[in-house]
Amino acid sequence: MEITFIQGILLSIMCIIVGLDFFLEAFFLFRPLMVSTFTGLILGDVVLGLKVGALIELAFAGLTPAGGTQPPNPVMAGLMGTVLAYTTGCAPEQALALCLPFSFLGQYIILFYYSAFSFFMGKADECAAKADIKGIAHINYLTMAIVSITYGVLAFLCAYVAQAPMQAFVEWLPEIVTHGLEIAGGILPAVGFGMLLRVMMKVKYIPYFIAGFLMACFIDMPNLLPVALLGLIFALMDFFGAKQRKAEVEAAIEEAGVNGGENNVGI
Amino acid sequence: MSESKKLTSKDITMLGIRSSFLQASFNYERMQSCGFTWAMLPALKKIYGDDKEKLSAAMVDNLGFINTHPNLVGFLMGLMISLEEGGANRETVNGLKLALFGPIAGIGDAIFWFTILPIVAGISCSFATQGSVLGPIVFFLTYFIIWILRIVWTKLGYRLGTKSIDMITSNSDILANAATILGITVIGALIASYVSITLLPVITVDGGIEVAVQEQFFDNIFPNILPMAVTLLCFWLLKKKQVSPVILIVGIILISIGCSWIGLM
Repeated sequence: MEITFIQGILLSIMCIIVGLDFFLEAFFLFRPLMVSTFTGLILGDVVLGLKVGALIELAFAGLTPAGGTQPPNPVMAGLMGTVLAYTTGCAPEQALALCLPFSFLGQYIILFYYSAFSFFMGKADECAAKADIKGIAHINYLTMAIVSITYGVLAFLCAYVAQAPMQAFVEWLPEIVTHGLEIAGGILPAVGFGMLLRVMMKVKYIPYFIAGFLMACFIDMPNLLPVALLGLIFALMDFFGAKQRKAEVEAAIEEAGVNGGENNVGI
Repeated sequence: MSESKKLTSKDITMLGIRSSFLQASFNYERMQSCGFTWAMLPALKKIYGDDKEKLSAAMVDNLGFINTHPNLVGFLMGLMISLEEGGANRETVNGLKLALFGPIAGIGDAIFWFTILPIVAGISCSFATQGSVLGPIVFFLTYFIIWILRIVWTKLGYRLGTKSIDMITSNSDILANAATILGITVIGALIASYVSITLLPVITVDGGIEVAVQEQFFDNIFPNILPMAVTLLCFWLLKKKQVSPVILIVGIILISIGCSWIGLM
């Protein structure tokens, strides 16, 4: 069955909303089950949307953005899976396979934005230095607008205008660039940590820095809680040590009289 | 002691709702920092009022690298805003934030992505496969409740912070140092877990023995030594050479694509 212009527009609007939701991870409307249901509603075949959505949802259950990695795009998968099942009349299982190129396309675009949005951070630093509240808000509005509009355009192109050319485009995308962006995603946090260290690092903190690093390198941990607890131990040792020295100094000063000579205790 | 109570219960509720914007400008360099700052701003503005200098200092700290779990970040935001309100010094606020976001991310991923999602998806998909609308409804309601809980986490964090603020401010100088130690320890570990570099080449040595540079050399001798080296290089360029972060970002993207092209990574 054909998709009408109105349906194309409605799908586009739907993807603007769920696409932004995926970027924010707020309401989980972006999961394939939800997206497929909405798509089915718009196309007038809810049951199809439910069946395709359930299948894609289960296939995508392990593909999560846990830890800041970008998985194949659930919005495009849910949308195109249902659209393809509707237009070609193929089985849900086939729709799952056919929607994958579109899902990868969505993934590449978000990966690109993750790198590109790094450039806004310089502007954000300027705003912070000037206590410019509006400036920070504008950056966030701009990035959200870029993401939303991209989803809207992409959904309209893929679902209504140019299904086949979009699929060809994904296959044409040079792996050098897409893989290059993945590599960049692995290295770019180094700049963020460099910025943090620039502010916080002092020579006296080097041992703690190395201890945290070594622990994460050589001990297999499910999350960073053990390191935070180790850091807490270091912090408490320092805290109690400093407190005791302070008390000792005060006691010594009291004992020697305020102008007394031998107050070289501790420190 | 906390004479300067400026935030109302409504402000904290708003903070929990605004935590939805955590990832509004997500990027690889500092991940959720700009959205985090944006969510905190109305409350920060209320605390610092027209004191531009203090507001600016708070904004600079908030813009530091952060990557935590969106559903639980409210706890961190509530805690941080209570410390800002109570006048804890900047090092303490920053050190605690750095120490906490990683564990919260790990716990959140384990709970929400690896436990709740498979269970809820499994149940709702079993309805949906039979063509029942109950599937997406159950799914939506579950996640809506999880969203509402953001407000609860935010209030919990805030309450915890206001309870301990007197202890924090009366030992402020000693605590600032201790909190920085805590933060720095965790940053060391964050570098190992967030910065990743994998070399692909396989070198053939005498006798036709193949050595994979990454798995057999670096991973065996010192895993994550390359991420640490790159981070320290960035640190050095930023601090000693005053290189702008933008230049570093451009450089890294170009080098990455170059390395992808020649098959180095």
